[in-house]
Amino acid sequence: MLATLVTAVVEGLQGALVRVEVDVAPGLPVCQIVGLPDAALSEARERVRGAIRNSGFAYPAQRITVNLAPAGRRKHGAAYDVAIAVGILVASGQVAASGGDWALLGELSLSGEVHPVPGVLPMVHTLARAGARRVGVPAANVAEAALVEGIEVEPLRGLDDAARLVAGPRGRRAARASRAAPVAVSGVIAAGATGSAPLVEAGPPVDLADVRGQAAARWGLEIAMAGGHSLLLVGPPGAGKTLLAGTIPGLLPALDDREALEVTVIASVAGLLGPGDGLRRGRPFRAPHHTASYAALVGGGPRLAPGEVSLAHAGVLFLDELAEFDRDVLEALRQPLEEGSVVVARAQGTLRFPAQVQLVAAMNPCRCGYFGDPDRACTCAPGDPERYVRRVSGPLLDRLDLRIEMPRVRPSELLLGPDPESSAAVAARIAEARARSLARNGGRLNARLGGRETVELGRLGDPARELLAAVAIRRSLTARGVHRILRVARTIADLAGRDPVDTGDVLAAADLRDPAAAARPGLAA
Amino acid sequence: MLGVGLFGPLGPAPGGTRHRAAEVGDVRARAAGDPQTGGPRDGRASFSPPGPAGAPAAEARSGRPAGIHPASGHPELAEERQAWIVLATVDGVGERTLAGLVAAHGSARHALWLAARGRLGRALGGVADGRRGIIPAATIAGIERAAREPGARLSALAARGVWTLTLLDPDYPRRLLTLLSPPPVLFGQGDARAMETPRSVAVVGTRRPSPGGRWEAARTAAGLAARGVTVVSGLAVGIDGAAHAAALDAGGMTIAAIGSGHARPGPAAHRGLAERIRASGAVIGELPPDAHASRGTYPRRNRLIVALADAVVVVEAPARSGALITAHLALEQGVPLCVARGQEGAERSAGCRALLDEASAWPFTDVTSLCDSMGWRAVAADGSQEGGRPGRADPGLSPEESTAPGPPTATPDGHEITPLPPLGAAERMIARRLAGGPATMDELLAVTGAAPGELAAALTLLQLRGLARTLGPLYLPAGSLLLAVP
Ligand SMILES: Nc1ncnc2c1ncn2[C@@H]1O[C@H](COP(=O)(O)OP(=O)(O)OP(=O)(O)O)[C@@H](O)[C@H]1O
Ligand SMILES: [Mg+2]
Repeated sequence: MLATLVTAVVEGLQGALVRVEVDVAPGLPVCQIVGLPDAALSEARERVRGAIRNSGFAYPAQRITVNLAPAGRRKHGAAYDVAIAVGILVASGQVAASGGDWALLGELSLSGEVHPVPGVLPMVHTLARAGARRVGVPAANVAEAALVEGIEVEPLRGLDDAARLVAGPRGRRAARASRAAPVAVSGVIAAGATGSAPLVEAGPPVDLADVRGQAAARWGLEIAMAGGHSLLLVGPPGAGKTLLAGTIPGLLPALDDREALEVTVIASVAGLLGPGDGLRRGRPFRAPHHTASYAALVGGGPRLAPGEVSLAHAGVLFLDELAEFDRDVLEALRQPLEEGSVVVARAQGTLRFPAQVQLVAAMNPCRCGYFGDPDRACTCAPGDPERYVRRVSGPLLDRLDLRIEMPRVRPSELLLGPDPESSAAVAARIAEARARSLARNGGRLNARLGGRETVELGRLGDPARELLAAVAIRRSLTARGVHRILRVARTIADLAGRDPVDTGDVLAAADLRDPAAAARPGLAA
Repeated sequence: MLGVGLFGPLGPAPGGTRHRAAEVGDVRARAAGDPQTGGPRDGRASFSPPGPAGAPAAEARSGRPAGIHPASGHPELAEERQAWIVLATVDGVGERTLAGLVAAHGSARHALWLAARGRLGRALGGVADGRRGIIPAATIAGIERAAREPGARLSALAARGVWTLTLLDPDYPRRLLTLLSPPPVLFGQGDARAMETPRSVAVVGTRRPSPGGRWEAARTAAGLAARGVTVVSGLAVGIDGAAHAAALDAGGMTIAAIGSGHARPGPAAHRGLAERIRASGAVIGELPPDAHASRGTYPRRNRLIVALADAVVVVEAPARSGALITAHLALEQGVPLCVARGQEGAERSAGCRALLDEASAWPFTDVTSLCDSMGWRAVAADGSQEGGRPGRADPGLSPEESTAPGPPTATPDGHEITPLPPLGAAERMIARRLAGGPATMDELLAVTGAAPGELAAALTLLQLRGLARTLGPLYLPAGSLLLAVP
């Protein structure tokens, strides 16, 4: 007997429809799966066989042929397990397909449980667009599947649930089906098994009220977050760079609907959506460790998973200890940062993951960390601090807009200074400034303006324009340098609700240093 | 010295403490063509020093005063002079070997003549104190090579734009003659007259200064330059570099005494600085151009720094710093030693505190009191006497600099662009604070009570006017702010 079911796989951030055809016929008891690469094939066969047996069904002692169509499509993951198993049950007559057309998604364990799979959101979306009306998804993925409108979603905890769905209320055999004792799987292992493991999972954001002193750095951070400008924090150990960066998630406004969907899809494909996780509204803040590999940062790898730079899409990618990152890995970030997306090459063409990130990085000024410290001696050899900064890829430094130097806080400031402003107050100003710039720039933050647009949309007063020219000549600025100051000045004015940009805004922006100049700090001479 | 009071002993010490170079002086007298003691006996025709076309040209370029061409009209002296220089270009031939050779063979020319024939003995001549010595074989080989191609040696110097001054020359720097063992041949680039300026002060210190030390050095050098005092230092990174640069920025004269050859003067990071010093001051040393610095060369170089200075200022020196060698040489040579105490307990000034506590060094406070102690009346850089104290109470903020718009700047294509806005009250307040020393933005925010944006704008303006610069999180005073009395 022949059974046909519908399932899906993930390609990049898209779901792709897969038809499962199962034929069970008399013959030698072998199971042949067509349309899967060899390695995945034998694994799928074993999972399906175990799951059928442990769910109270019989694994047919006949010739089983499974065809996953279209054959040419690469089928990553194991979301097709449930559909294959149910197909075998139907084709062998153990379950009657009387419950209507169900699309099925889910990976099976040998015990017959249905495990969550990455990418349920885009897969369900594709199924719905292809006309599917009903879909069974792993119970842990129901929340994301429910985000798709126009399709009925049922949770699957085990193969028995899937059999009952397909058989409908009249399927008596399926109703009796049971599962073997569930195998306890901790959430962490489950996530690790299905998605790229989060390298550093952000805790709750630090509140700015807990960061004492550092008034200049707080000011720079506020500007960076208001304008989406990328930021380099430089300072000695213990200055509070990591602490300050930890406040970022609490300073950024929530994602809008379009961004939220993109971010949730990426998280879904990466297997980072937890059970019950629906639409993501918080801006991503990803802080990969400096030992992160190329694939982990940029994406790709055998699973074609999105990398950290895509997981941070619409949010912040924080590279702590920037000088410790592998130079080649950082160089690879350059193109995604420039284009706002990552292109992953594969056999059948290329995939594109979005990667519109705001880069924030932190580093020490030198190996020992105390170069330029007012009090403590730097123990690096002369010339070493410059070499240390030059280790960081120059093109990457070129992509950074602002550099903030953080001195060590003095004990007096730590203990006696005035109580700092809280994140809520700063976030409110940031939200206002962002709203102003988004409205003026056609939905883009100031940092995203191109050179000409910066001048056109910047609304620069004549005195400010002339002053900027004077600054540019005296500092021999390149076009990049002029636009950098202009964009930052625009943000400073947005924070103050000022229009047009005035001379004070330009001068203040010009004091925020150029990270690219850090590679050759004006030292001795 | 400590008991004498601020005004007495800081002037150049009258005799006694500084020594005339007795033995080398003798060499000089002998070599100067006295036929009895040192004149060439034979071989003059064989060592026929080339009329190096390049050498005089190099000297003309060097900006040496007219009349410095030594021994013009004394062909023998001219040849002997060149023989000295050729010998001095040989690796391993220092002041002792050269003096010994002249003593042993009557003249450098004769020594070279012998060497060209492979007949130069290894024994050095007895000198005044009866010291004798043996020349290492490697050095003999080097001398023989040089003797076979003396012209090439001289033109190589010329090609590098290196001039030489020998003890035979009437205009050998007077200050160096006070050394116990002055370099018989001095190699230099730039203006040799820098060594003859009437007032000069050495500013030395650690290669790893704190920002505060860097500022102190710059402030001191700028103040000296503004008073027409030449700033002497060693071209090292750190305090030396800050002192040279500030003196140049203030339009002053500065001399770098280097412990390596002129091909690699100082660290690579200071190539540009060395170029600037050559353009308006002098870079000098006693090693031939290709010589590398080694362990011993820096301490020897330090004695040149001390000899070229009327006073030595040590800004920041940890225990066991090279600057301490310079300081002790100053004490030995009777050159007034002024030491900045630095922050109490700061490791980077431990050597300074030891000098102040254990040696007879003067605490250094500022350039004005230093100059007062030296008995120097204020002299403007152009040499004219200036009335009153040179340190303005509010420099950089004088009416013409602060309220008048800055000089108009023209774009490369000739368009006049906006002058900088004038300094307002906020900028003046910040400038006054900066004149007191480096500060972070946070400290300036606390002092001024300004909003960060306003403060940042003011700091940009000060930087554009050359009154401030940045180092890490610090803003440092620069330009005329260095001269401000906080
Ligand atoms: N400005 C500050 N206010 C309050 N606490 C601070 C501040 N700066 C540092 N700290 C404390 O010091 C700890 C270390 O700071 P943090 O890890 O942010 O330093 P860092 O600059 O990232 O240093 P490193 O270069 O070593 O990574 C923080 O966890 C915090 O407890
Ligand atoms: Mg850190």
